[in-house]
Amino acid sequence: MRSRGRGRLWRSLTLRLGVIYVALFLTSTALMFGAAYWMAVYRPLQNEAQAVRREMGDLAAIDRAGGRDALIRALITREASGPKKPFHALIAPDGKPVLANLPSWPDEALDGWTLLEADIYRGGQEHDYEALVVENRFDDGARLIVGRDVESIDDRDELFTIGSAWLILVAACLAIGGSVAMSAAVGQRIDAVTRTARRVMAGSLTERIPLRGTGDDFDELAATLNMMLGRIEESVESVRRVSDNVAHELRTPLARLHADLDELSAARTAAERDRLTEQALAEAERLQSIFDALLRIARIESGRHLAGMKPVDMTLLLADAIEFHMPEAEARGQRVESDVTAGLVIEGDPNLIFQAVSNLLDNAIKYGGEGGLIRVAAHREGEEVSISIADRGPGIAPEYRERVLERFFRVPATAATPGTGLGLALVNAIVGLHNGQMEIGDAAPGALVTLRFGAA
Amino acid sequence: MHILVIEDDARVAEHIGKGLKSAGHLVDVESDGRAGLLRAAAETYDLIVVDRMLPNVDGLTIVQTIRATGDTTPALFLSALAEVDERVAGLRAGGDDYLTKPFAMSELLARIDVLNRRGPAIVAETKLSVGDLEVDLLGQAVRRGGRPIDLTAREFRILAYLARNEGRVVTRSMLLEHVWDYHFDPQTNIIDQHVSRLRQKVDRGFDTPLIHTVRGTGYVMRAGG
Repeated sequence: MRSRGRGRLWRSLTLRLGVIYVALFLTSTALMFGAAYWMAVYRPLQNEAQAVRREMGDLAAIDRAGGRDALIRALITREASGPKKPFHALIAPDGKPVLANLPSWPDEALDGWTLLEADIYRGGQEHDYEALVVENRFDDGARLIVGRDVESIDDRDELFTIGSAWLILVAACLAIGGSVAMSAAVGQRIDAVTRTARRVMAGSLTERIPLRGTGDDFDELAATLNMMLGRIEESVESVRRVSDNVAHELRTPLARLHADLDELSAARTAAERDRLTEQALAEAERLQSIFDALLRIARIESGRHLAGMKPVDMTLLLADAIEFHMPEAEARGQRVESDVTAGLVIEGDPNLIFQAVSNLLDNAIKYGGEGGLIRVAAHREGEEVSISIADRGPGIAPEYRERVLERFFRVPATAATPGTGLGLALVNAIVGLHNGQMEIGDAAPGALVTLRFGAA
Repeated sequence: MHILVIEDDARVAEHIGKGLKSAGHLVDVESDGRAGLLRAAAETYDLIVVDRMLPNVDGLTIVQTIRATGDTTPALFLSALAEVDERVAGLRAGGDDYLTKPFAMSELLARIDVLNRRGPAIVAETKLSVGDLEVDLLGQAVRRGGRPIDLTAREFRILAYLARNEGRVVTRSMLLEHVWDYHFDPQTNIIDQHVSRLRQKVDRGFDTPLIHTVRGTGYVMRAGG
């Protein structure tokens, strides 16, 4: 249980971010501190040590060339030189100091450079000095220690030592504080998304994630999620609209059916009874066909229709479809002109494709006007087969070209022509199932519907 | 005809039973899938009318099972599952016909009539004749009273289907299923127009019409009357 609890805590993104933040903050602070120490303390000391070594080299050369007295003179001269106070101690081979302004020095020989306390009391006042010294042992056993004051660098060193303790404390506070603030900020943004999602789940589809307007990653994510919510709301809205329409479109024939049956029970003559019975059956049939068409569209759209996909000879299918509708066209004095390339083949469900083409031809005949010309064309265009059916009727106004694909939508002017308003919706669903495209255009005059399918 | 009806909806079963009886058939009704299967296996029927969705054993299984025993009794599915793929499943299971609910009694009776004629063995016919009409199925030629009649391929198929079912009512949906190669919903009564064109060629100029309209149902081909 405990390990699971810890696991969950660690899984919390904001906590992990916080811990990582603290670690990074402390590491970077330590690195910066180190760099500052190196520049302000370590490097100056190294430079000073090099300078002192150079001086020692010069003094040793003077000793070699001019003897011990020359060295002593040089040391005395040196005492007045440089911005940094020079220190020296010349110790005879027997351990007695010959000349020294260093207050003390170690008995052991010094190896490399060293810092020595060199505080000097003068007139009851203490002057703080810190001497960086190097030692040289002459061949006769005498020791020479020379150095320069590095008190200012040493002060800085001390400052760093005390500072580092404070720095660690302050940095840790800042890191933890920062991480808490950052976690809170990130957590807040995530919470905003979660809260909105919960409200949407609870049924409030109009909810949107608030944007900060900063255009940061969270805003971008929120904007994308909002777009998704918009899309969902739209499709839910369209489903709602359709179901409203369904209710209306089914209720009307139901009401008529009801009325027919009502009157039937009161009918007195056999002729009246026959007429009403026939009417009632016709209404029932109409209801059934609306119902069938709706179920079909829904099945196809939801991909539940197990389409029998196979190569379909479009040339043959179009000829069959035209032949099927020919008697109706002729009854209206319409001519059908067909311009179809031979041997067009697509991959599809022949029954559904035939249904789609048949619906389009039916529309062209119904709305094409008496004596009009209907043109059917099908050609291969690159990787596609395009099938177009044009009539010379009133056409479909541009503002209705999207909406005629909706279930039950009918162009207002066609209200007098019998129809369910489901024909093009079914065509659209069938074309969608085949990953094809459907375009409604203008045959100037007349309607032009073009279907495109991938060529097999 | 002795017909077994397996249908779980009491109201629909009663309706079918009544209709079949008034058409002169002898009817047994079962409302449970298992009971229906047992009965179909135990007794001999001329035809079985079976629903798809039944309690215990579904219609597809019933037909599959009796077919597996070598029983070729014609079976007609009566189902609310209307889509082409469901229909194909029914025919594949061994059904001889498939009618979707809701249906008109006249449609059911017409289909039962045709199924009964089809009988257990289908004789390969090459020539059909109705009155003075002769249909040469192999040569795709039609003569009436010795005079050749020129028909389109589709008209020929309509005529052949009517002639093969001489004296029996053929509904519009039966024509659509058997004459056109696609299963679709024509949305209009365009079948009537095809038949009327055929009728013009076959019956015009002759004293006795061969193709008769059965009001509200379909057509029948009959010589005389």
